[in-house]
Amino acid sequence: MEQTTDSVRRARPLLGTFVEISAKGKALPELEAAVEEAFAAIAKVHRLMSFQEHDSDISRLNREAYAHRVKVDPWTYRVLEFSLDFHRQSEGLFDIAVAPALQQIGLLPDTPAAMSIPFSAYPANKGKKGEPLALLEGGTVRFHGSGTRIDLSGIAKGFAVDRAAEVLKYHGVLTGLVNAGGDLAAFGKTPYTIHIRDPRNPQHLLCELAVCNEALASTGTRFDPLNSCPVGGPAIIDPATRQQARTVEGVTVRASSCVVADALTKIVMIAGWDSTKLLDHYGASALIVSSDGSVHSSANWKGALELAA
Amino acid sequence: MTDWIKLMAPAVLAIPFACPVQAVEYLSIADAQKLAFPSATRFAELEAGRSWKALAGERLLGLFVLDHVIGKHLYIDYAVSLDTSGRIHRVDILQYRESYGGEVRSESWLAQFVGKTSSSTLKVGSDIRNISGATLSSMHVTEGVKRILASYGTNNR
Repeated sequence: MEQTTDSVRRARPLLGTFVEISAKGKALPELEAAVEEAFAAIAKVHRLMSFQEHDSDISRLNREAYAHRVKVDPWTYRVLEFSLDFHRQSEGLFDIAVAPALQQIGLLPDTPAAMSIPFSAYPANKGKKGEPLALLEGGTVRFHGSGTRIDLSGIAKGFAVDRAAEVLKYHGVLTGLVNAGGDLAAFGKTPYTIHIRDPRNPQHLLCELAVCNEALASTGTRFDPLNSCPVGGPAIIDPATRQQARTVEGVTVRASSCVVADALTKIVMIAGWDSTKLLDHYGASALIVSSDGSVHSSANWKGALELAA
Repeated sequence: MTDWIKLMAPAVLAIPFACPVQAVEYLSIADAQKLAFPSATRFAELEAGRSWKALAGERLLGLFVLDHVIGKHLYIDYAVSLDTSGRIHRVDILQYRESYGGEVRSESWLAQFVGKTSSSTLKVGSDIRNISGATLSSMHVTEGVKRILASYGTNNR
C-alpha cells in the first residue's frame, strides 16, 4: 500500500463528548502511534481540568485556592492565562467563575462548599478588575473570594483540541482533524468538509463549510444523541444576569486556534451581533443562528459556505 | 470591521436539510483488541461476543469487553480494556451510527451492518461526516463504562 493513502480515524469518549481524530500522510503504524499520543494529550486535559473529578487541578483550586496558593500543571496555568485574557478583552462576558450558577440550574454537580454559601454572595467574590483569581509566580494560583468556583468547560475542550493537533503535526502527520464534539481543528493541504448541525433541531444539518488550517467551535443546544433530544438549553451563563444566555440560539466561530474559537462562542452567545470588535481582535469570524430562525454570518464566510436549504 | 450578512430568512428554514445517516466504522473487534493489547498473542473468548482474556502465552494481560449503546436513532459499539488490576486501560468507539430516516432499533436497519465490525475495512466515504454544532453528550457510554468496571473490574484479578 502507498504510504500516503494510509489513513486512520479513531474515536474515544473524553471531555464529556465523543472525540474523533483523523490522520493521513504517514504509514499506518506511525499514524496509530501519533493518534494514540494525541488522545493521551486530550486525556491529560480531561484529567487536569475536569470540574467533576476530585483530583483534578480545578477541583483542588475550588477546594483550596482561597485558603492558600495552589500549584497547578503548566497546561492548567496556560488555560487560566487564556481565560483571564478573554475575561479582560470581553469586559467580563467570558467568565470561568459562573460555576455556582451552572450548579444552581443543575448543569454542574453540587459541591458541599458551594451549597453552603448563599448565592447572593458570589458576585462580591471578585478581585479589583472583576477577575476571580490571580496567577502567581511558580505556576501557582490564588482565588480572591471564598465562594469562588471555577469551571473551564467553556475553554478546555478547545485547548485540548489544539494540543492534540500539535502532537499529530509533531509526529509528521501531514493532514489531520481533531474533533471534540464539534470543537475542531483541521490542518494539512486538503480541506475537511464540516457539517454544522442546526442548533434548533440538531438532527438536521444547517450548512457545510470547508475547513483548512483553522479551527471551528460551536455552542448552542446540548444534544443527547441517544434520545435524539436537546438537553436543557445552552450551558452558557450571562455573568450580568446569572441566567442562561438567550440572545441567540447557536453560534459557530472560525479562528486560527480552537482555544480562541471555543472561548469566543461563549462570548458571541451572550453579546450576539455586538461581538464584531472582539471577533476582529482575535482574527475570528462567526455564524449566528438567532431565535427567530434567521442565520447571519461574518462577510468572509460567503463562498466558503454551502447552504443546506 | 466584520459585517454581518444575512444568509437565511426564518421561512427558508421551514424545510431543513435532513441528516439521515451519520455512520462511521472506526475499528473492527480484532483491530481494537490488537491496539489495546499489542503484546497479546491470543484473545480467549470468555462470553460469546462479549468478553475476551488478552494473553501473552499463558500470561494474563487484561480483559477486553465489548458493549453497545442503543437509542431510538443511535447505535454505538464500544470496547473497554481492563488491565490485570481491574483498572480501565482504554475505551475505544468501534462503530458510531446515527439515523433519522428510520428507527435504529428496527431489525432491518441494524441488519445492514451485521458482520461489518469483523471486517477491517476503513471506510472514508460519503456516508461519513465531520460535524460541528450541538455538542453530543457521551454520558451513556460513560455510564456503560462504569457498569463494565463494576462487573468486570473486580473479577479480573
